[in-house]
Amino acid sequence: MREALAEATGDDPGALELSPIEGGASRQTFLVSAGGEPRWVVRREPAAGMSFNSLEVELGAVKAADLAGVAVAPTVCFEPAGGRFGAGAAYAMEFVSGTAVAPRVLRRDELAIARERLPGQLAAALAQTHTVEPGAVEGLAGGASDPALEACDLWEAELDAIGEPLPAVEAGLRRLRLNPPPPAEPRLVHGDFRLGNLIVDEHGLAAVIDWELCHAGDPAEDLAWLALRSWRFGNDDLPVAGLGETEPFLAAYEAAGGARPDAERLRWWEAMGNVKWAVICARQAHDHLTGARPSAELASLGRRICEPEWDLLQILVGSDGSGREAEQASGGVP
Amino acid sequence: MQDRPTAPELLEAMAAKLFAEVREWVPRERRFQILVLANLCAVIARELRAGAEPSLADARLFRELLRRPVEPAIAPQEADAVARATAAELAGAIRAGELDDRLDEAIGRLREHVARKLEIARPGYGG
Repeated sequence: MREALAEATGDDPGALELSPIEGGASRQTFLVSAGGEPRWVVRREPAAGMSFNSLEVELGAVKAADLAGVAVAPTVCFEPAGGRFGAGAAYAMEFVSGTAVAPRVLRRDELAIARERLPGQLAAALAQTHTVEPGAVEGLAGGASDPALEACDLWEAELDAIGEPLPAVEAGLRRLRLNPPPPAEPRLVHGDFRLGNLIVDEHGLAAVIDWELCHAGDPAEDLAWLALRSWRFGNDDLPVAGLGETEPFLAAYEAAGGARPDAERLRWWEAMGNVKWAVICARQAHDHLTGARPSAELASLGRRICEPEWDLLQILVGSDGSGREAEQASGGVP
Repeated sequence: MQDRPTAPELLEAMAAKLFAEVREWVPRERRFQILVLANLCAVIARELRAGAEPSLADARLFRELLRRPVEPAIAPQEADAVARATAAELAGAIRAGELDDRLDEAIGRLREHVARKLEIARPGYGG
């Protein structure tokens, strides 16, 4: 690794210290320090378990987002599987200081100014991401047909691969499949845009990280995902990541060049976001149970499936899945 | 018969110890893992206290949504296995479109099943 980093930077960093970073969903992530200073972060493919994208595709998305103006952690070098970073393919990026621990972002005093700026910064980062045409990222999955139906296909297939019976998720998926929004023009979608995947410092957004779930999709997917109750960490009255209200966030997205989706489309993707989070929880627990990635933390996610299931059914109850009746019932808020 | 504390009582003691004391002993960046363990102990304690009733209620609900008779009666020790098998049948039937004419009913009623899971895993979430 020292050799690879010396080659990439033109400067031998000396002896390296590696420490694992917690919180990565499936990729292995290490902090690499030299001389006691954090310098790089290395992400590596796991030996087994869930991976939605190859590391090469993830890297391509980071580069395209960077070109579009999104703050990312600059890539330093890439090593294919079996290369100088070990068995799995891996890449090193510059270390970006700050935190990606959502409860800290939502509560720490020193991040008060960051919290004020973040909704606008997140809206702008998404608007920039969504300017990227799928063709700009080689091998990017999705976008061949209607992104909404592709999402139905993807999560149904994932449920089948896991094999856990989740009738509430199935009922939600069926409703969504029968009532998709009009097809959207596919763009680069981050796929897991929430505080846990954003590095925040006292000035606000420092970098958008963890592009593992990126794909060609409906930009509304990212906007709705950010509003999932699971990412509010108790700030349930602030739909946008526990930080702010929906309306100013969408206005900021529009002001930054994004095309504002209508309330029905957002509602559909919010329901789909809950499907996705429920299936990801089931997948993580499954990876523990099969022994692919033994972990008490992953195991515990099996008992969190019911949270997004509840939110999914609450969104869909009494509606045709497009959100029309639910919207009227709640007083017309998107 | 085992002597007291009962299994749920022991788990609650473990949860309290992990949450109030052990958490403080570990480095800050790893405290989340202790919270996860403490929470799991509390989840298991609630599950043991609830017994077979939530699974029995789920099995009855799934049969109802499948338009099956509520009989035969389910023995408590089989409740979880029957509920799981019936959940798989219901999931398959929903996927196949067999409930399309009553999907609203299914979506509404399945909240009862999810609420029963939340009562064990995350009380108050569905409130």
